[in-house]
Amino acid sequence: MNGSELVPLRGGWSRPVPLLAALALFAVLPAVLAGFDRGYLYQIANLSLIFVLLSASMHLVTGVAGLLHLGHAAFYGVGAYTAALLSSKLGLGFTATLPLSGLTAALVAFLVALPTMRLVSIYFAVATLAIGQMLYLVMLNWVELTKGPNGIIVTKGLELFGFSLSGRLPTYYTVAVVVALCVVAIGRLSHSYYGNTLRSIREDDQCADAMGVRTVRLKMEAFTLSAFFAGVAGSLWAHMTGYISPGDFKFSESILILAMVVVGGLGSLPGAVIGALLLILLPEGLRGLGDFRNIMVGLVMFLSILLLPKGLFGEVSALDFARRQWGAAWRRTRGGEGIGWR
Amino acid sequence: MIDPYYLQQLAIGLSLGMTYALMAIGFTLIFGVLNVVNFAHGEIYTLGAFAGLVLISAAAPPAVAVIFAALAIGALAGFSLERLAFKPFRRFTDEASLKSRAMRESTLLSSLAVSIVVREGLEIGFGSQMQSIPFAYLINTPVRVGPVILVTGDFIIFGVAAAMLVGLQYLLTRTRTGLAIRAVSNNPLGAKYVGIDTDRTIIVTFVVGSMMGAAAGILTGLYYGAVFPAMGFIPGIKAFVAMVMGGLSSIPGAVICALILGIAESMATTFVSSGWSDMVAYGFLIVTLIFFPNGLFGARRERV
Repeated sequence: MNGSELVPLRGGWSRPVPLLAALALFAVLPAVLAGFDRGYLYQIANLSLIFVLLSASMHLVTGVAGLLHLGHAAFYGVGAYTAALLSSKLGLGFTATLPLSGLTAALVAFLVALPTMRLVSIYFAVATLAIGQMLYLVMLNWVELTKGPNGIIVTKGLELFGFSLSGRLPTYYTVAVVVALCVVAIGRLSHSYYGNTLRSIREDDQCADAMGVRTVRLKMEAFTLSAFFAGVAGSLWAHMTGYISPGDFKFSESILILAMVVVGGLGSLPGAVIGALLLILLPEGLRGLGDFRNIMVGLVMFLSILLLPKGLFGEVSALDFARRQWGAAWRRTRGGEGIGWR
Repeated sequence: MIDPYYLQQLAIGLSLGMTYALMAIGFTLIFGVLNVVNFAHGEIYTLGAFAGLVLISAAAPPAVAVIFAALAIGALAGFSLERLAFKPFRRFTDEASLKSRAMRESTLLSSLAVSIVVREGLEIGFGSQMQSIPFAYLINTPVRVGPVILVTGDFIIFGVAAAMLVGLQYLLTRTRTGLAIRAVSNNPLGAKYVGIDTDRTIIVTFVVGSMMGAAAGILTGLYYGAVFPAMGFIPGIKAFVAMVMGGLSSIPGAVICALILGIAESMATTFVSSGWSDMVAYGFLIVTLIFFPNGLFGARRERV
């Protein structure tokens, strides 16, 4: 090929979304939060960010790899409990607990995945439900380790290599940076050859198998990776709130995360982010209505399945969007030949 | 001679298992007809119990009337559930889409969503606390049988459940409706071709299954004397486990496994604290899924 040099990079403004998102996350929102300076608003912002991460990790396993996962909150809980126990028993700081909780959750997920990955569709969903409930029961009943229903108080706040980041704004920035990095990583995973392989398993695992895709191994990887990110979210939650109890990780939380992914659109990362923001912020916004906030989750989920089966931001448009905004590999060479995936 | 304690636990386990069996039958019937899991089945159980509670506190009728009211509410709930969460997703009626994956997953999620709405609705209406059933209605008068002390509830649950099981067996094998249900669960398209109204049969299945679920709910409510909005979740999972253990399509299998599950649980409380006893069901589920993918009593079938 002659003209194999790349078309000159288009400027940032022709792909405004990543820039705007970063601007909103790191400049506008903190400024607004600092302007109001109310602890409650910071809490909501951090909570939404953590759920964005949970929803994005669920997107990887349920949306992209097509494994209906009904026990995701348990891995979130494993991460949170790891962080809480490491910091309260061994005195480790956030810098150490963040990766360790992710790895512990991933390890648990890997062990759980070993026997269950052969299961398909609803059988897998039910197995994850059972596993999620088993982990929840352990958190609830292993009183010597987890203090049972009383929960654990995490005394150590956020810090980075010894620098305390425990003020309101530093906490927000830490959570935002970790979540942004993780979401970008999940984005790279799901918009790549790797993600496409996972999608092929979702569409037809027997066919993918016949094409030489190692389906069981890839499913296990997706499951483990998503548990890793859920564990990271758990560690953020433990250090941010300073108190965790098993109630934060029960079945209804798994369903909430699933609802976020479904409402946003299965298989669409922007959809998962939108779904998380919607299902956290909408009930908060409707706090005046009192107890109706949980019912909202159910109603939003039901209506979106009924009226928008593809979700708010369906997979096809999400892929298109991701390619336009992020896809360096989607650029064409001068000869018209594409490089990378489509 | 067996220690009377174990006999006692056995009796408790049997009546517990019977309520699971009633729930499991609903699951199995619906799974057989539509090949989908009805996640709102636990809420039918709760609705049955609440229907009984409301009737008791409003009119104080005899206990038999309470059970019939719960059955009626169960039937109504099953009907509306099918209309709300299942019918809209059955857009096409050929076999491929009747048992397709998209249909299975969307109804799974829609029934989950309906169950959230029902549970939260009940919490708004009644509060999430336990409601206690008036003492006069509790079915726990002790009865001494040999070395074991049972309560009347054990007999009533066993009797009602057995009667419903016999009734169901009669319905399924001796009536045209039952024949239609079996036909649809065997082959929906074939059933349609020979002139069976599949839509109507599916509704009948939901109504029958939900009546049994509601009966389990009100019986458990009267037995333990406590009714609360989240009460259906755990029995729902247990019943599901029983269905999977029984091999998904086998009603006798589901009943036997529900009894095994009930007994195993009540025996487990001998050795571990009651908080851990739920672990038995989940353990059974995982072991069954891994080692007996066809269930303990199921015929060989493809697991896709």
